[in-house]
Amino acid sequence: MEEKHGMAKVIAIIPGLAFMVFTLYLLRTYVEPWMTTAVVFGQKGWFVQVLHLNYILLAIIAGMLYRNLLWAGKIPGWAEEGFRTTRLFIKSGVMMLGSLYTIQSLAKVGGVAIALIMSFVFGTILFVMYYGRVQKMDRSLIGVMAAACGVCGVSAAIATTPAVRAKPADVALAIATVLGFGIASMFISPFIGHMLHLSDYQFGAWVGTGILNSGQVLATCLAYNPTIAPGTAVAYGEIWNVVRVISIPFVVFFITMWYWRAEAEAEHITLVGIIKDKFPVFIIGFFAMTALSSLGMLGAEGSSTIQLMRTVMSWIFGLGLVGQGAYIDIRELKAAGGAPLKVGLAAGLIKYALALVVVLLFVSKETNF
Amino acid sequence: MSEPKKNAKMTVFKTDRHEDMAAMFFVTILVLSVLIYMAYIVPTIVLKAPMDGKMVAVTVQPEAQVKKGDLLYSLEIKEKKYVHDTLEEKLVVKEIRAKTNGKILSISAKPGDNVKKDKNEILVLKHEKGTLP
Amino acid sequence: MKILLALDPSTETMDEAIRLATEKRASLTALFVLDATWNDFTGHDWLSGSGSRADFLEYARDNELTSEADTIAEFRKRCSPDCEIKSSTGRVTDEILRELAREKYELLVMSHPFRRGLEIVRDAAGAILKHANCSVYFVRGNESRSSLNTVNDMPFQTVAN
Repeated sequence: MEEKHGMAKVIAIIPGLAFMVFTLYLLRTYVEPWMTTAVVFGQKGWFVQVLHLNYILLAIIAGMLYRNLLWAGKIPGWAEEGFRTTRLFIKSGVMMLGSLYTIQSLAKVGGVAIALIMSFVFGTILFVMYYGRVQKMDRSLIGVMAAACGVCGVSAAIATTPAVRAKPADVALAIATVLGFGIASMFISPFIGHMLHLSDYQFGAWVGTGILNSGQVLATCLAYNPTIAPGTAVAYGEIWNVVRVISIPFVVFFITMWYWRAEAEAEHITLVGIIKDKFPVFIIGFFAMTALSSLGMLGAEGSSTIQLMRTVMSWIFGLGLVGQGAYIDIRELKAAGGAPLKVGLAAGLIKYALALVVVLLFVSKETNF
Repeated sequence: MSEPKKNAKMTVFKTDRHEDMAAMFFVTILVLSVLIYMAYIVPTIVLKAPMDGKMVAVTVQPEAQVKKGDLLYSLEIKEKKYVHDTLEEKLVVKEIRAKTNGKILSISAKPGDNVKKDKNEILVLKHEKGTLP
Repeated sequence: MKILLALDPSTETMDEAIRLATEKRASLTALFVLDATWNDFTGHDWLSGSGSRADFLEYARDNELTSEADTIAEFRKRCSPDCEIKSSTGRVTDEILRELAREKYELLVMSHPFRRGLEIVRDAAGAILKHANCSVYFVRGNESRSSLNTVNDMPFQTVAN
């Protein structure tokens, strides 16, 4: 493909981006309001009351329908560049979420988040290392699966692959497993949450700990409660997400050391080097927003300024999620198989269920955050 | 033999680090736009009910000057709160205070009115330029 | 008669294509496609910051190049000197179909399952059969589902740049 520069690059973005904006506009102005009033099976607002659909889930579903039905598995050339902006939007949304917290509130919830996540991360890594060996899986693939199931799913797998010299084709199967699990839990978790009457705090803690692929944590929380404000599912889930993202370089370091133990290559690996290379810089933006909000520079809680800021945020997320959906090819997920599927499924299910049990037993419904 | 380019384009940006920086820049622009828009461009703001409830009292008059923190009106709402892991609902009166200095232009709700979140208009406020309403 | 062989690591498929070409006195062209869709495949991954995805994509590309060199070397060992070998970059099935459209081939020989790049998670056979303008001959590939079920402690090498 010809690489474009300057203005040509910007122009190439427009069609896909406009398509994403148009989709979200339709969903938010027409489809969502219609769903709250539509009578299905004799119940008013069945889509919302029973299916718990909201614009977040609709955005993802719309993206998935485009890719898998309308475009038969491939984002077309005219929309390609525009859809590539999806990560920019989600990253921006995540940074803006930093404004929901103050430094004090972050410190209060952060402790619980770090304790829960670290025990689950390393628990899962050890489980995968053991079970992968039982399944006679390749050592480098065990490394990739351990990172993927332990921390952030796809991002962790991608970060670990070059370090443990895993075959990209095998990694593709690992990604299919992890992403498939993430997407399934994104649609199922809100149901379980509503069924068990979890509070927003509990739901955020559960989903933040239990979902295999961090890419789906935010969307799942927003699917449970689409309100973006302090004290909602997304506010809690995001703290968990941030802790997970920050821990990626450390996990990559740990797994790389395990993989290369007693080999010359291990001497060249330093934690500082890995952090420099892999640390997600956009997380700094998240904390910058928290600092600004702690200083009261973004307007008072409940003010019209904050409301407008959160409306902007919800549009940014919505846009990003239409794109996210369009990057999901169901056929590629169906190809998941072999040992990665067995190991991923076992680790994923145990983590998901265990996190729910821990949250129900030890995390109280109320929080004074 | 065609060889893929060494730095084949990954995103709209050259690398994810560029994308991270671009996202930071984008957020800065967005936040600044919202702040400048609210502080300098919007002349008046319409305060709508922040939650469903019943108006208890309106403590300001039209044309009155208000200062940040002044009581504007109070609203009786149903507060849901988890106490010892059970959801308790109780009626509480919530006081809504001015977020910034300004002048009340009009008041459209009166005590006893039932108001719906983000639907019913309560009052219109002209805020001091440069403050965040 | 012209035969196109879509190259993947399967040596059985190579042998079968060479046998067919000799038998039918056909000219044989082998096409290796470097998969350029890794970027798109990881497109949903917004959590990777900084160099992570770049390192991965570069690593995947290096692997593609190693695979290209190995597969072509393997094919050269087996084929006659007059066999033509082509190479291109893109979405694998699209590139094969493009080559079929460009030259007048009468037969396409390929492995099933087709193990080239991300086709491991895709249905290459389905995509080719739907649009191919000539007969297609599938050979049951001999490489087990990569290294998934084998214990292999030796990290494999990538091409040094």
